[in-house]
Amino acid sequence: MDHDLQLLNVGKVYDNGTPAVIDFNLDVKKGEFIAFLGPSGCGKTTTLRMIAGFEDITSGDILIRGRRINDMPPEKRPTSMIFQNYALFPHMSVRQNVGYGLDVKGMAKAERDTKVDRILDKLGLLDIADALTHKLSGGQRQRIALARGLVVEPDILLLDEPLGALDANLRKAIQAELKLLQRNLGITFVFVTHAQSEALTLSDRIVVMNQGRVEQISAPAELYTRPNTAFVAQFIGRNTIFDGTVLDENSEQVKVETPFGIFTGTPNKSPSAGRSAKIIIPSESLEIHPAGSVTRDQISAEYSGNVLPGVMERADVIGHLVQMSITLVGGSSVLLEGHVEKYRRDDLKPLSDVLISWKSKNATVISAG
Amino acid sequence: MQTTVIKPVLSVYTGLFLLFLYGPFVVLGILSFQTGPNGGPQFPIIEWSTYWYQHVFGLTPPSRIAPLPIYEGLARSLTLAFMTMIVSTVLGVMSAQAFRTKFKGSDAVFYLIVLGMMVPGVLVGLGLALVANIVGIDRTWWGTAFVLHVVYTFPFAFLVMLAIFNRFDSSVEEAAWSLGVSPIKTFRKVTFPLIFPGVLSAMLFAFTLSYDEFSRTLFASGRDLTLPLAIYGTFSIEIHPNIFAFGVLTTLFSFSLLAVYAVLMTASLRRAKRVAIQEDA
Repeated sequence: MDHDLQLLNVGKVYDNGTPAVIDFNLDVKKGEFIAFLGPSGCGKTTTLRMIAGFEDITSGDILIRGRRINDMPPEKRPTSMIFQNYALFPHMSVRQNVGYGLDVKGMAKAERDTKVDRILDKLGLLDIADALTHKLSGGQRQRIALARGLVVEPDILLLDEPLGALDANLRKAIQAELKLLQRNLGITFVFVTHAQSEALTLSDRIVVMNQGRVEQISAPAELYTRPNTAFVAQFIGRNTIFDGTVLDENSEQVKVETPFGIFTGTPNKSPSAGRSAKIIIPSESLEIHPAGSVTRDQISAEYSGNVLPGVMERADVIGHLVQMSITLVGGSSVLLEGHVEKYRRDDLKPLSDVLISWKSKNATVISAG
Repeated sequence: MQTTVIKPVLSVYTGLFLLFLYGPFVVLGILSFQTGPNGGPQFPIIEWSTYWYQHVFGLTPPSRIAPLPIYEGLARSLTLAFMTMIVSTVLGVMSAQAFRTKFKGSDAVFYLIVLGMMVPGVLVGLGLALVANIVGIDRTWWGTAFVLHVVYTFPFAFLVMLAIFNRFDSSVEEAAWSLGVSPIKTFRKVTFPLIFPGVLSAMLFAFTLSYDEFSRTLFASGRDLTLPLAIYGTFSIEIHPNIFAFGVLTTLFSFSLLAVYAVLMTASLRRAKRVAIQEDA
């Protein structure tokens, strides 16, 4: 079996009866980088802590390399956890912190020192190996935590918002390091974050969670272009969403009647005719046409009816991008960005009438039931 | 404007506070240097001398004033305070550790523990003496009195440790577990070093509270007296400055305990600072 980690119908109910995690199913392949993404309180950290053994599992099973570990205490599990606050041992030097996990395994001193030095070197920590940790910078401490977690060679490294306490620049730098490290080591990473950009850049697959439930498990690109649920569409990227009813369906295209017209999109979980549905259009797929240059019918023909009139509210040039805010009929507004060369035009100035359109293949239809 | 009023008022208040806090000790200290054996425990000082200190240590020629009958009491009190310190601190650390997770009936248990330092000592002492009589247990300083000392000092140790654990970041323990360190070893090697300053405070509380405990011991200790009881006993005959000299010596002993405490407390911090300075250089 090549699964490093499996969660089978895992559920967690707190002592006071509140459900924290509901029916979580996931298979993680060896060497995969998985992110749990969701707003705070969605159950992502609870799930991670259940994998680490810090929280009891109320129902379901957790398997690591095919072995059920539900009742295994944390110190026996082949996992290692990295904490947001680093959780370094303040009374030990950097070297002692990193070597401690090997000490308790009873490893010989020489072998331990070699391993510790190797990982310290890899993470650029050799210079500060004998310092105590509390005076070091956030980035250094996070690297120490990583070294300490990795040196014990866990099957799975669990990371609980490890970059949350770092400033933006440092976060970017360590993100890149982390990705590289994971690829080199080939260890499975399970990474909890509430920052979508972090999840989108780092992971092979993302588990989007909301209110204890898994909303979608997909590769980043797919999550972006083919959201499964309205929550995912709202949480990831910038999407415009219309409610409507399915008029007509086939495997390729679905027609949805909305208060603003009949639009066509690509079905995700094929909703059947007559059912209520949502059509989700990513901002990146919207095209803007000045109202004077073309008629609505022309656009409509070209874009299979996917056209809407609106008014440009704002068009701010920021470097090479134009940030635009357009109010659509019905009062909803969309935010989008485009390149200056295409969108800095006199007939796209604020208060000009525009038409927005999109291609059917770029819009996703999901059932709203 | 305000500070010109408040500052003098506060300094007078502080002065009075210090006067009442240390005044008795200063008076005691001065009188302990009265001449002997004929000088009494009152002003004026007839002649400055260290006679009474020599008397405490039995270095003076025999006179009509008998040596203080307190040396066995001192040994008992030190032993008792040491035993109490160890037991109360161990209990305090363990029970505070138990209170880190809420358990069924934890509120009730909390109040039961704290009750030990709230109830009037004379009543508990008397109560235990009665119970001991009924059950037929001999009252001893190392038995019945020891139990009462632990009941009295354990809540202090418990509350100190509760406050320490309250600020304790348990993710370092979780980090140790996830590195494969067993919970017991984690407690010894990670938790305990981090809570050690609190443990020292708890020990200091337990020791000093037990060392000069009077009311509980009075009824519960039986025939053999502890130091506070022995000193109190000397008052009923005649007071000589030798008791003051002894008082000064025990106070110095307390100061040295505090000094040991302070040294132990700052040692780890200073070491940490030194390493940090080396790091900066």
